[in-house]
Amino acid sequence: MSQKRFSLIRTLGIIFMITYIVFIAFPIYWQLNTSFKHIGEVRKIPPTFFPKHFTLSPYINVMNNPMARKSIYDSLIISITTTLLSVLIGSLAGYAFARYPKYAGGENLSFWMLSVRMFPPIVFILPFFFIFNNLGLTDTYFSLIVMYFTFNLPLSVWLMMMFFGDIPRELEEAAYVDGYKPFRAFFKVTLPLVLPGMVSVVMLCWIFAWNEFLFANVLVGTRVKTFPLVIPTFASGSSILWNQVMAFTVIAMLPPIILFIILRRYMIRGLSLGVVKG
Amino acid sequence: MSRKGEDILVKRYVPFLLVLPAFIVLFSVTIFPTIWSLYMSFHQYNPIIGKPVPVGWKNFNYILHWDRFQNSVVHLFYYLLFGVGIEMILGITVALLLYELIKSEKIRLLLLVLFIIPMMIPPSIVGTLWRFLLDPFSGVVNTILSMLHLPVVDWFGSKMALASLIIADIWEWTSLPLMIIYSGRVSLPQSVYEAAWVDGASQWTILRRITLPMLKELIAIALIIRFMDAYKFIDKVTVMTQGGPGGASELPSYLAYLVGAQQFNMGVASAMTWIIGLGSIIVIMLFVKFMKKVLKSQKIA
Repeated sequence: MSQKRFSLIRTLGIIFMITYIVFIAFPIYWQLNTSFKHIGEVRKIPPTFFPKHFTLSPYINVMNNPMARKSIYDSLIISITTTLLSVLIGSLAGYAFARYPKYAGGENLSFWMLSVRMFPPIVFILPFFFIFNNLGLTDTYFSLIVMYFTFNLPLSVWLMMMFFGDIPRELEEAAYVDGYKPFRAFFKVTLPLVLPGMVSVVMLCWIFAWNEFLFANVLVGTRVKTFPLVIPTFASGSSILWNQVMAFTVIAMLPPIILFIILRRYMIRGLSLGVVKG
Repeated sequence: MSRKGEDILVKRYVPFLLVLPAFIVLFSVTIFPTIWSLYMSFHQYNPIIGKPVPVGWKNFNYILHWDRFQNSVVHLFYYLLFGVGIEMILGITVALLLYELIKSEKIRLLLLVLFIIPMMIPPSIVGTLWRFLLDPFSGVVNTILSMLHLPVVDWFGSKMALASLIIADIWEWTSLPLMIIYSGRVSLPQSVYEAAWVDGASQWTILRRITLPMLKELIAIALIIRFMDAYKFIDKVTVMTQGGPGGASELPSYLAYLVGAQQFNMGVASAMTWIIGLGSIIVIMLFVKFMKKVLKSQKIA
């Protein structure tokens, strides 16, 4: 009886998963499909479900475009720096807020940090344009790194606070009893347990910096150009070259996907040792 | 004895030092824009025309009585209720199903990568992609609908424009709660589940009594993040509908963007961002309070 009900739920679950997979995968398939078509076929009505004349020329055109190549390089520099800074500084603060809320400044401080992310970005864009302009810092890596770092930090602090909060304190205390110094206990006991959470923070910070358009559009653009700024330039005259746009976004998706696959190793079960949450 | 004193010293100052870098960065970056925009919200200012002129509460008064702004607030309400609501429910369900149903590590990795790809595409491109898919004449969705002899839909007409935005948003951002909840589920201790199985608890009971309660803080933070970001997003509106047709899909921060970055009306734009920002802060504060009450009552019970 219970076995039967269980398998019914299982079947429903599998159907649900398949529907969701189709919903997510179809637009991605369409993006790939478009990126392998000649531009004439892209504009066809009704659209073709599979490229009639399969071509790699959109990819070759994009790769031969020096501006496109440079933009990927610029985006990489900005995203790597932003992510490292946000996760490092965010983890320090998150740990303090989770373990010693009173001494770390309390809820008001942590909530104020979060509130930075609540204002529409237009609040920051214009004042920052004036500031960076006066300091001669527009069109530099620095200006974007500062902005993305600021917007990622609240998220990083709050998520790390939650993940650290989930780790029972007794674990660290047990390590102290075993003669570990706090520093060593942190690296040997606490850090491995929050790694799965940290991976998602890394991904979120990376994705925000990697894809951001609005700040980049205002603060950089000539010497430094991130890749979302290059996308609108794939046009001939007034018509957009959809196949090249899609090919370029496929290429731009690779760094975050590779990063995720590398980091996935750390997402495996952190707590397999049989620790009961306190 | 001295060891104890040392501990108190460490406890008193180390947490403060750990928070300090984050505090310094956020404070120094935000203090000027905060003051600038607060000052501007009480002034009439267009950088092209001239210097700021003080106008008191006029900007706020104007915005609150502006019918386009009032309509955009209604749109935002639907957008948050359906968009963020469905994203959370879908994200949690799929994350837990992925963990329960699929035992092979390789397939799990594959699906997880697939599921977070939408988040890795720039939001402006997600907008163009969906604009492309949903195009009433040449889009593939309507092509499929007519192949199945179903009525085609005018996705960017005044009835469906907001729904189209919501669909694109669900497609892109369900990945976020999914990823957070999945990594939370992965780090839950196995032993609790083993104990429950030994006690003969059903799947449903385990879900309701163990999994969800242990994940509720992460669920709350995922909800807060999605709420904050959905509350002020504009990129998909810009690309997909430009707020149209006839303002049918305008959202408050898109209006603020229009007024600020296109009409250069800094006073009204700043006032609007303050109204929007404070609205968000109040909602999240109430939510955090509610969460704390829930947490407390469970600890007593």
